[in-house]
Amino acid sequence: IHLVAGFSSIRERTIAENSLVILLQGLQGQVTTVDLRDESTARGHVVNVDAFMNIRLKKVLHRDRRGRLTQLEDLFVTGRNVRYVHIPDHMDIMETIQGQLAKSHRVRNFAGGRKEYAKKKS
Amino acid sequence: MRILLEDEDGSIASPCASVVDSNMEERERDTGDVNPSSTSSDCKATAPTSSSSAPSVPEHGADSTRAASGDLGDKLDVCSDNFDPLLALYSPTVPLPFPNIKCFNNVSEYESFLRGGRGRAKPENVEKRQRKAMKGVADPERIERLKKLMVRNPVPEAEGESSSSTPRRRKQKPPKNVLTRMPLCKGGPLGELHRCVEERIRVKVHIRTFKGLRGVCSGFIVAFDKFWNMAMVDVDETYRELLLGEALYHEKALTVSRLFEKLKIQESPEGDEQAKKHKAKGKASCPQSADPSPVSKEGSSKRGDNRTESRLSGDSVRGEQEKQGASLKARGPETGGRKHSQAYGKVHTRHVNQLFIRGENVILINPQPL
Repeated sequence: IHLVAGFSSIRERTIAENSLVILLQGLQGQVTTVDLRDESTARGHVVNVDAFMNIRLKKVLHRDRRGRLTQLEDLFVTGRNVRYVHIPDHMDIMETIQGQLAKSHRVRNFAGGRKEYAKKKS
Repeated sequence: MRILLEDEDGSIASPCASVVDSNMEERERDTGDVNPSSTSSDCKATAPTSSSSAPSVPEHGADSTRAASGDLGDKLDVCSDNFDPLLALYSPTVPLPFPNIKCFNNVSEYESFLRGGRGRAKPENVEKRQRKAMKGVADPERIERLKKLMVRNPVPEAEGESSSSTPRRRKQKPPKNVLTRMPLCKGGPLGELHRCVEERIRVKVHIRTFKGLRGVCSGFIVAFDKFWNMAMVDVDETYRELLLGEALYHEKALTVSRLFEKLKIQESPEGDEQAKKHKAKGKASCPQSADPSPVSKEGSSKRGDNRTESRLSGDSVRGEQEKQGASLKARGPETGGRKHSQAYGKVHTRHVNQLFIRGENVILINPQPL
């Protein structure tokens, strides 16, 4: 069943729901630092995170492993290149996960089938 | 208007009725206007008179009632507002609005006919017939029901209502998500990890670089998943920054013990002296992997790297490095020797309150002993 959705197919949604990517999706809109596999770091607003941990950031300060700083408007990081994601101190991890799961549950069961509303991704 | 048949004596009623009837018949023939009051007055007038006057009365009645015939027609018209059922019942010729309709003997017959004719209209038969008739028609209610079944865990939109019995009938299985899967891995390594979550055991997570160990993260796990992605709190990360180029090629594999030794040596001047002493010793035994003591091993391996490096690059470079090293850190006179081993590959420590680790980078997890 192909659902009209904000960002994903059913497949992506189940992958996200059954992994900790859903925690990262709860970070959408926050400012965080992503440590990359190549020892560089990127700090900026999380635009969105998909089921494969591909992260889209905006207004980014990128520090390469030598320490050189670059300002970027948009940055896309492949899921595999992520090593760490710093979670803001004010966010509670369990609450964020539960909130995200509840959101996707709500939308899925909305009116027993009317999916005109885009699935909530933020 | 009602025709009051006042009985002066019983015999009067019938003549009057017959008078009325004949009047009506005549009215049928000629559709003149009939004054209802005149009819009644006629009736009443003729009532006391004997039947001998009856023959004259019809004529009389006919004349006078011609005027009333139109209204009477209106009263006998089933569909009109002035319909008079009593009049209609006693009239022999009531105009039927729908002359070709089926006549029933009683209401039950009518009901039975309504339900579909053949056979007795039992409730189940009736329903069956109805369903058959509706076969091709799309039933929106049915569609809604099917949609509800298609969707997983169809909980009604109103929050918190889900535990009523009727939706439960349609509810499929308990939800499966990352949080419910955490306790499921009991019996295996992930089950151990779940135990660490539940019992809030501090763990050390070894993190990898593309070749070997990068460092160690010490903290508490809040959540994990099957990929070993982990959400941790109160994390102290100890890691070595990446070596580049030749150093990378020649470096000995980093182990946890080596890592911490490096850290220690970095921070303490005495360690440096020790290392310096071992330097002389180490020259002979440099490229071995087996060393007598951990400290000397550490010292010699470091020196070993360094010396190999300098051998390749020449003594002048070594001297340069020493100078560089001296400028890097301002800590005591002994720092010079130490520094050039730490111009690269420095061990760092940092604290992160909440950290998410991608499982791909995890080598192993070491729960702290109780």
